[in-house]
This record gives sequence, structure tokens and C-alpha cells, in this order.
Amino acid sequence: MTTLDTARADAPAPRAARAWRTLRSSRTAVVGLAIVAVHVVIALLAPLLTSYDPIAGNTSQALLGPGGAHWAGTDQYGRDVLARVLYGGRYALGVSVAATVVSVVLGTVIGCATALRGGWFDDLTGRVLDAVLAIPAVLALLVVVTALGTGPAVIVLAVAVVFVPQVVRVVRGAALAVVPADYVTAARARGEGTWPILRREVLPNIVDVVCVEFAMRASWVVLLISSLSFLGFGADPPTPDWGLMVAENRTAITVVPMASVAPIIALATLVIGLNLAADGLSKAWGVDRIREGL
Amino acid sequence: MTPLVCVDSLSVAYRSGARRIPVVHEVSLQAAAGQTLALVGESGSGKSTLAAALLGHLRHGSQVTGGSVTVDGRDVFALSAPELRRLRGRTVAMVAQNAGQALTPSMRVGRQIAEAGGDIPVTDLLDQVRLPRPAELARRYPHELSGGQQQRVALAMALAARPKVLVLDEPTTGLDVVTQRGVLDLIAALRDELGLAAVLVSHDLGVVAHLADEVCVLKSGRVVESAPTRQLFALPEQPYTKRLLASVPRLDDTGLALVRETGEREIRPRAVVPQDAPVAVSARDLTVDYGSSRAVHGVSFEVRRGEVLALVGESGSGKSTLAWTLAGLRTPSGGTMTHESGDLARPAQRRPMSLRRRVQLVFQNADTSLNPRRSVGDAIRRPLRYFGTAGGRAESAERARRLIADVRLDPALADRLPAQLSGGQRQRIGIARALAGEPDVLIADEITTALDVSVQADVLHLVDDLRRERDLACLFISHDLAVVRGIADRVVVLRGGVVVEEGPTQAVFSDPRHPYTRQLMAAALEPDPDAQPPVESAPDWTDAAQEGEVWTDHADGHRTRRWRPADTTPNTPDAPSDPIAEGVT
Repeated sequence: MTTLDTARADAPAPRAARAWRTLRSSRTAVVGLAIVAVHVVIALLAPLLTSYDPIAGNTSQALLGPGGAHWAGTDQYGRDVLARVLYGGRYALGVSVAATVVSVVLGTVIGCATALRGGWFDDLTGRVLDAVLAIPAVLALLVVVTALGTGPAVIVLAVAVVFVPQVVRVVRGAALAVVPADYVTAARARGEGTWPILRREVLPNIVDVVCVEFAMRASWVVLLISSLSFLGFGADPPTPDWGLMVAENRTAITVVPMASVAPIIALATLVIGLNLAADGLSKAWGVDRIREGL
Repeated sequence: MTPLVCVDSLSVAYRSGARRIPVVHEVSLQAAAGQTLALVGESGSGKSTLAAALLGHLRHGSQVTGGSVTVDGRDVFALSAPELRRLRGRTVAMVAQNAGQALTPSMRVGRQIAEAGGDIPVTDLLDQVRLPRPAELARRYPHELSGGQQQRVALAMALAARPKVLVLDEPTTGLDVVTQRGVLDLIAALRDELGLAAVLVSHDLGVVAHLADEVCVLKSGRVVESAPTRQLFALPEQPYTKRLLASVPRLDDTGLALVRETGEREIRPRAVVPQDAPVAVSARDLTVDYGSSRAVHGVSFEVRRGEVLALVGESGSGKSTLAWTLAGLRTPSGGTMTHESGDLARPAQRRPMSLRRRVQLVFQNADTSLNPRRSVGDAIRRPLRYFGTAGGRAESAERARRLIADVRLDPALADRLPAQLSGGQRQRIGIARALAGEPDVLIADEITTALDVSVQADVLHLVDDLRRERDLACLFISHDLAVVRGIADRVVVLRGGVVVEEGPTQAVFSDPRHPYTRQLMAAALEPDPDAQPPVESAPDWTDAAQEGEVWTDHADGHRTRRWRPADTTPNTPDAPSDPIAEGVT
């Protein structure tokens, strides 16, 4: 009797290396991720990039146009606009990342669990999430913020309420394709519980979907949080925040347009970067899946 | 006569990174009108690539590196896109393996056939593929048809524009034996009626022997041997062909065949199960429901330690449902199911751990039974740790390596991912994983169906070895009678969730008493063009079981469900009326 079947000659590289190679092959993803990386670096290095304090004002320097001392000018309180934009990235990225992580993690767990358990649990969760989805996002946010007050923690919670149902939808769809596979059935036949099956068998196979979902949601979250700040429900003044800056300076837009435009540029580039990353990732990994026949 | 299809030293390669990997290597073949040429080979032999090349189609990333394909006098790879489109359908038509997937689910079949072009009315086409009541059938959706009917519709579509060449890619794989027989006979009849040149791609030597005039054996993209069918099956010249032919299980084998390098067969005597072997698992009047429909109607059987019991039947006979119920994935709605050490009527999660690990399932499709993101060693270590059969991390790793060696694989494979293994290796890992719980009942659900014939022989040997070594009670589920003949000690034939015949393998195969068993055996295709069906075809029958008088005994545990010849003869292809009276068990 033969001891060995012939192994396939070209063994695929380890998963991480392969994921990186696929990623690099997509220009969109690389550009997107690079833009996001630049934003992160700027936010982290803000104190080194500017010597101005983003919060303390200097009334004698109010409403200056772009010039040698203040590259992007100053606002009505005499604060350096560039410094506020640079520091503003910290708030935008910090709260957005926290909110996205919470939404995606909760959404992934609930999505996988509904796909795996099925039956009444799936039906009930589905209908509850439908009800939440029926409420307009900003309205839901305002309700949470009005009830619980402002502050980063509340914003994170509010964003999770809005985005978890959407993440659940997407992840549940991806997990439904994995759940009927025999290796999940094998784990069920061993009598394993929902959580171990989810963690060991289902999650590793939908990790790419979750990654893309993360990048996509992140851009929406950044926009949503900025709109909240713009409306006055997000960051409290004098926190440097892009949405807040636009709101504060829009009255003086004819005098110092740069004070409104600079945060808008920052916001726009971050959102574009995240969108490009999400697009590139989903395409690269999608094509990868088809090629591998997974 | 000039051949319609002429492949001249064709080479095809596909690109993988910077390398070019040849998949077809200088293959030449010809097919004339009215003839069937069969391309035979195991997976990876390039037979499907070759078939697609006849339609001028190459898979993404592959290219012709030499030679030519001429169909009806035209070089297909020199044609422009519009000419190629005209060629496909009008000159060459293809029938794909899985008709269920080849038909659009949201379109009535009549419209789909009409869309295929041609001037022949749809009802005529449906009539031509021997479908009853064509006008009514044309208004149905694909899901309302049986597998055999779907394949007939796919044939009608292929024939709509009256092509000269018909390419059949595994046309009956996935169909039941009786249905397969019907579709093959239809293909042969249509080929003769319409004077088609047929190119049949198949891994099934029985199908090839039945249908082909010429056979071309492929291995790794090269032609190993090419000869008229009779000659090839009677006097194969190449050792590879000999081994391939010898690996196919036969209906008259009395045990598993052991194939030597030279292609000689040696029948291994069946293991003797001692009379006093303890019963490992027994089922009594088991019923299983899916919602309001009943899949299993009161089935009883028992399996002793060291014994292989085969459940045989067509799709929908309830054999897989029984396997899943036994494995604790479904809850029976009635009857009892017991193991030496406890009650099996509860789902896996509610069985005690000690009982759970003793009944283990091996899946049909090894490709999907292993998690693609986890190493195979991990797949085996998990049940070891979970069932507590191995203590620490180091011990479970050591045990996993030993299990991999036990299924005759190199323990170094433990670090590989499933995608890096061949189909046969994956199936062995599937078996090793089932063995990790140290079971005494092994449920093998069609475990060799997806494997190549030589790999199938190895896996069957492994199962046979394991039951001897480990004294396993094995429930072997299969639709392939020849496989069952070699490995099983006893056979249970299922039809529509009801046992129609059961008994020792020898008795059932040498003297099948139930017409359904005879029908199955008559439809089985042997790898021999001159093979006579082992039994006469069965008369039409109806169930005659009544309360208290269900069985006719034929001594030595061989018994059949009562039946009587049918008065009327409702004979529609692929849709036999269900003669089993419900509820009588």
C-alpha cells in the first residue's frame, strides 16, 4: 500500500505573507493605506510639527490670514489653525478608531452567532436590528447623546448603536457561507459550544471580510463623528476637532476662509484614504478568493 | 471520412507567478461523426482543460503553447471572437457536469432552451430527450425537476442549434445509478440519431466502457494509451492503464482488491467477525423528520464491533440522514438508538462526553471537512484536547503525529494547511481526526465518492485495516454497489427511507431478492464493454408490506420487504412512482 500521495508542488506561502503580497498588488489599497498612515503619523507627532498651543488663544493675533508665522492663519480667538488641524487628527482618529473597533467587534460576534445558531435567535436578532436600522443615523445619535450627555465614551456608544446592525448584516452573510461547511459540522458533532466554534472555525475564515468592513465603517464613522461635532453634540469646545472647527469658523468664512477649509481638507483626505483602502482591500482579497477557489 | 474533431499535438500551460506549468502536453486525438471518444484520467490529468479547448476556451491564465485544435475544418484558436461565438453552440456544444448549476434558477426551462438558439420547437427538443409531457415541462423552473431531468434539459439545450460535436464533461457524475444509466442510454441514442461526434470526459471507467468507441487515457497532461474501447479494456498495454483498470472495484469481487504495480489484482479475504462480537450500536424503528416530511421511516439495524455494515441507496433514500442522526447532528422523532454505553437519541451536545467521543463521523467531501485556515495537525489536536484523550500540549502533538502515521501518512504533514494536501491525503486526515476520540463506532458517509479510483482503493484499504486493528464498528454509507461489495460484511438497502432488503453481503449480491436491489445492480456499470448485467432487470413492483407481515425471510439474516408485481406499468424516466406505502414498518 502506498504510504504517501504526491504532495502538490507549489505550496502556498504562509497566510500573512500572502495577504501582504495581495495587498501590495492593489495600488488603490496601497495609496489608501499610505494616506491613512500619514494622518496617523501627523496626529502622533503633532507637538513636534508645531510649536503653537492648539487651545490657548492670543486675541491680539485673531483672524489672521495665512502668513509666515501662521501658515494657515488664525481663528477668531487667535489660535493657530494649522496646530488645531494637526492636533484635531488625534481626536478624530482616536474616537473613530475606538468607535469602529467597538462596532466591528460587537457586530462580528453577533453576526457570527446569529449565522451559527440560526432559528429563533437569528429571527429575533434580525428583526430587532431591522428596527434599529429604520431609525435615521443622526437621529439615533442625537437621542443617545441627549440622554447620556457628551464625551468620547458616549460618542463611541452612540456610534456603535448606529453601526452594529450594519456590521451584523454583512458579517452574518459572510458567516452563513462558512457555517454549512463540514468542518463546522464536525465541530458540532463533537458537541462544541457556539463560542469555540465561532472562534476556531468560523472567524478565521471571514477575517478578510471583517478587515474590509473595518476600513469601510471607519470612513463612515469619521464623517459621522465630525457631523456630530459640527452640530455641537460631539467634542466640547475648546477641544481641537475638525467638525467643531468648521462650525466655529463658518461665520468668519469670508474673512479667514482657511480656518474652515483646512479642517475640511484634513477630513476629506482621511475619508478618501479610508475609502480607497477599503475598496482596494475588498477587491484584492475578493479576487484572491476567486483565484484560490475558496 | 475526415474526423470532425482533430487535436494535433496540443500543449497548454498556465502561468503561476513567473513560471509556466504545462497542463496538457502534446496531446493528439481525433473524433469522427457518429463516434464517441472518451477522455479518461484522474483529477489533474488535464482532461477538462482539453475538453474546454475544443470549444476554444482556456481557463484564465492559461495559454496554448503549441499545436492546434481543428473542429469541423476550422482552427478554433485562430477564430475571431464573433466566429468563436458562432462555433460554440452551432458546431460544438457542451454539457456540463452539474446541470443543476448550469441552468438559471429563475427562468423557466422552456425559455432557457429557446434562448440557446436554433429553429427547433422547444417541445420537440424536450420530446427528443425523452421527457414526458414536454409542453407542461417547459413551463417548469429548474428546481422543480429531478437531477436526471435537469441533465436531460441541459442536453436539449446543447442540441437546440443542432451542433455537430457534443462535448460531455462528466455528464452523469452526481446522478444516481439508475438515472445515470438512463441518461447514458439517451446520449448514445441521440449520438446515433443525429450523427454527432461525442467527446466524453469522465473519471468513471464504467461510464466509458458503456458509451465510448475510442478511449484516450490521460495522465498528467499526456496521453498514456489510446485504443478502441474493447481492445483497451481487454488488453491494456501500459502499466498505468492496467493499474487504473484493476483499481476499479467490481460487483463480483469477494473482498477488497489489492492492486500491484504491474496491475495484477489480488483479492484480500474479508475479515471474519466473530459470532459473539458485542453489538456496538443498534437502532430500532428509527424515524427522522425534516419539518413535516419524514426522511426515515422506522429503520432498524445493528452494527457489531469489528463489522462493516453498509447502507446503500440512491439520493433521498435517507442514508445520510441516518448517519447524521447517529452522529448526533439530528434528533430522531421516534424509535431508539443505543450504544453499548448509553442512549444515542439525544443531540451531540447533550450526550455525555464519554459517549460523544465513541461515535465519530467521517465526511464525504474532504475538501470542505478541514478548516482551510488551520493546519492539519491542529485539526487532529483539537478533538484530542477536547475529548481529553491526550493531556498536555506536548502529548497531544505527539498523539496527533502518531494518528497521522496510523492513517499511512508522513507525520511531517502536521504543519501543512489542507490546501497543500491532495484529496486522498485530506480524506486520511479526516479519518485521523475521527480516530482522535478513540471511537468504537466510525460512520463513513460516502467517504470515497469524491476520490479518484486509485486513491479510493487506498482509502478503502485503510478503513478495512483500521477496523481490524481497532475493532471498529463501521457504518459505511455509499451509493456505489461495487465499493460496498468489497468492504462490507452486511448490507442494508434503503429506498425512500425504508429498508427494502438486508443481509450478509455475499447473500444479497449473489441472490438479490427485492426488485429494487435488482434494479440497482442491473444499472451498475462495470468497467468492461462486454459486461452482462449481473442480474436480470427487475419487474415493476409495489410494496406489499402490511402490519405484522413486513418481511420475507431468506435464511441467514437475509430478508426483504414484502412486495408484489405491479399491475399497471407507469414508466416515466427518472421519476418512478413511489411504491413504498408510508407508515408500515
